[in-house]
Amino acid sequence: MKKMNLKPMLKPESVAIIGASRDPDKVGHVILQNYINAGYPGRLYAVNVKSEEDILGVKTFKSVLDIKDKIDLAVISIPAQFVPAALEECGKAHVKTAIVVSGGFSEVGETELQEKLVEIAEKYGMPTLGPNCLGVMDPRSRIDTLFLPTYKLSRPAVGGVSFVCQSGAVGSTVLDLISGEGFGLSKFISYGNAAHVDEVDLLNYLMEDEETKVIIMYIEGIKRGHEFVEVARKITKKKPVIVLKAGRTSAGMSAAHSHTAALAGNYEAHEAVFRQFGFTIAEDLSELLYFAKILDSEKYPHGGRVAIITNGGGTGVLCADAIGSNPDLTLAELSDSVKRDLRKSMPPLVNIRNPLDLAGDAEEVRYGKALETVGNDENVDMLLVIILFQTPGADSRVAAKMVNMKDRLGKPLIVLSIGADYTRMHRIMMESAGLPVYDSPASAVKSLAELLKYARYKERK
Amino acid sequence: MTLYEYFEAKKLLDKYGIKSVDSKYVSSAEDAERFASGSKIVLKLISEKALHKSKAGLVKLNLQGPGISVAFHDLERKGKALSPYKIIAQKMAPSGVEIIVGGRTDPQFGKLILLGLGGIYVEVFKDFSLRVCPITKQDALDMVNQLKSKDVVTYGGKSSALLVNLLMEVSDMLSKNDFIKELDLNPVVVREDSYEAVDLRILE
Repeated sequence: MKKMNLKPMLKPESVAIIGASRDPDKVGHVILQNYINAGYPGRLYAVNVKSEEDILGVKTFKSVLDIKDKIDLAVISIPAQFVPAALEECGKAHVKTAIVVSGGFSEVGETELQEKLVEIAEKYGMPTLGPNCLGVMDPRSRIDTLFLPTYKLSRPAVGGVSFVCQSGAVGSTVLDLISGEGFGLSKFISYGNAAHVDEVDLLNYLMEDEETKVIIMYIEGIKRGHEFVEVARKITKKKPVIVLKAGRTSAGMSAAHSHTAALAGNYEAHEAVFRQFGFTIAEDLSELLYFAKILDSEKYPHGGRVAIITNGGGTGVLCADAIGSNPDLTLAELSDSVKRDLRKSMPPLVNIRNPLDLAGDAEEVRYGKALETVGNDENVDMLLVIILFQTPGADSRVAAKMVNMKDRLGKPLIVLSIGADYTRMHRIMMESAGLPVYDSPASAVKSLAELLKYARYKERK
Repeated sequence: MTLYEYFEAKKLLDKYGIKSVDSKYVSSAEDAERFASGSKIVLKLISEKALHKSKAGLVKLNLQGPGISVAFHDLERKGKALSPYKIIAQKMAPSGVEIIVGGRTDPQFGKLILLGLGGIYVEVFKDFSLRVCPITKQDALDMVNQLKSKDVVTYGGKSSALLVNLLMEVSDMLSKNDFIKELDLNPVVVREDSYEAVDLRILE
């Protein structure tokens, strides 16, 4: 099967919103409004069968065929039964790509109606996303087909993470959460029923997309297994893919004849493929974000020896425990010369070992010296710095020090900060400078382990 | 799905270098005794109607001398309800760790290969790893290392290479034989330097 050209869908120079409406309650109105709010710089048209009067100041036509312009992307948001006719018109008008936002197809048993869409899309060679989806968002090209108002769903900043999501509901909540994270978004693609464009097409596109550094995906099922394996084999050699697969507890193979079939059902088969081809497997929504931010930092470790620097003894021990029980990580044994240097630069109350407890009065100078010294230890592959902002010594200067030092270290560095408002403020400060910050020992340590696993996979062969 | 004939299956395994225990169909107690010729044997009843043999009491282990005839007649009696059936005699394998090596055809991804802690522990611990065929040597090694019981099944690493080779051979067989819908080699008895499949089942 030949590759689909999805560029006109994500980087359109002209867009027609089919089903644009003057009624603010209509989806077609919200989509048009969002295009205006996002400041879409291309040529924008509205299509409304009932009227040719401008909507929201946008030139409006009764049919896409009336627009005397080449259309890269048509966004269709009209009742399901009218969609095939509208899509057919798009084909005749040489529209390059289409997104069918409308629901009411195979997800409610209307498979024939959906097959009609696929037929039309195939006939005109017009990649069609959906139906029953949120569509796409690309903050760089300022396109936003989401029918969720911006005051309800915050839009993430521009960045390198692309998010491919089968479910609209999961898509919008995770997108909202990403906007609160320090990393930015390259593309959001909600593909709904995957009638025409599916995960294989999307991965093929994102693999070559230079704006995409990391891919996160939520999928319910893979339709083209062999093609998926083909793209999976290649993509993780180029960039990390983090995947969350729903349907873990599905009945599986109830009528299995062999032990093998009883053990290895549908979920297990998917998981096997992900594992074999170096995908990073997330077990819940929050892990999608945890793993995305560490992989987005693009700094890979050469081993699993972790050094912990902390201003709180107990939290250091919790992290050491989490490292000790992770099969891929070990607590680094600091080298003698590093220990000697630390002894000279640290106050007497600091016990020179790993975890290195700098004590509650540690301020940016002590943190800086400790990180510099431990960070240069050849026995250390990764650094976990705990900053508890409730302590007397920790304030914005410590956060700024971490940000300043992160690029000077040739090794992965993450921060663990647990707390409420004051902590959150510093978390955002550090994250928006590209430093991954975690809020629990478990999530921090698991993220380090996943980073290492991906680094090892990427180095292979 | 139907059960592929036992000795046809064994022949296929032989062709790919996959070792399984010496076996023979026996039609009488005397026949079984002749096969044993003094050493310990196992008797198994094979029928489409009984796919989980050990649960149904259709496997008789550690047989020797007069025990062979008693076991044979018991299986013959049980077989009446499971007709058509056959009784197979096998040499007892030297003891070792029991693993499962399996395969199945997935509607999405095609042939899958499985390695797990075997025998009666399969369904209790569900300690297994799975990959899409054909696998690379690295994939096979990953499969071994993914098991929680890896130190047990590899004797602390000593039989790792043996298992990697076995997995490569099974993957090769699965990939080249489209007709195999499901495969169970369970158990495969593994020792530090050798192994053999003690029970085998191919569904076509």
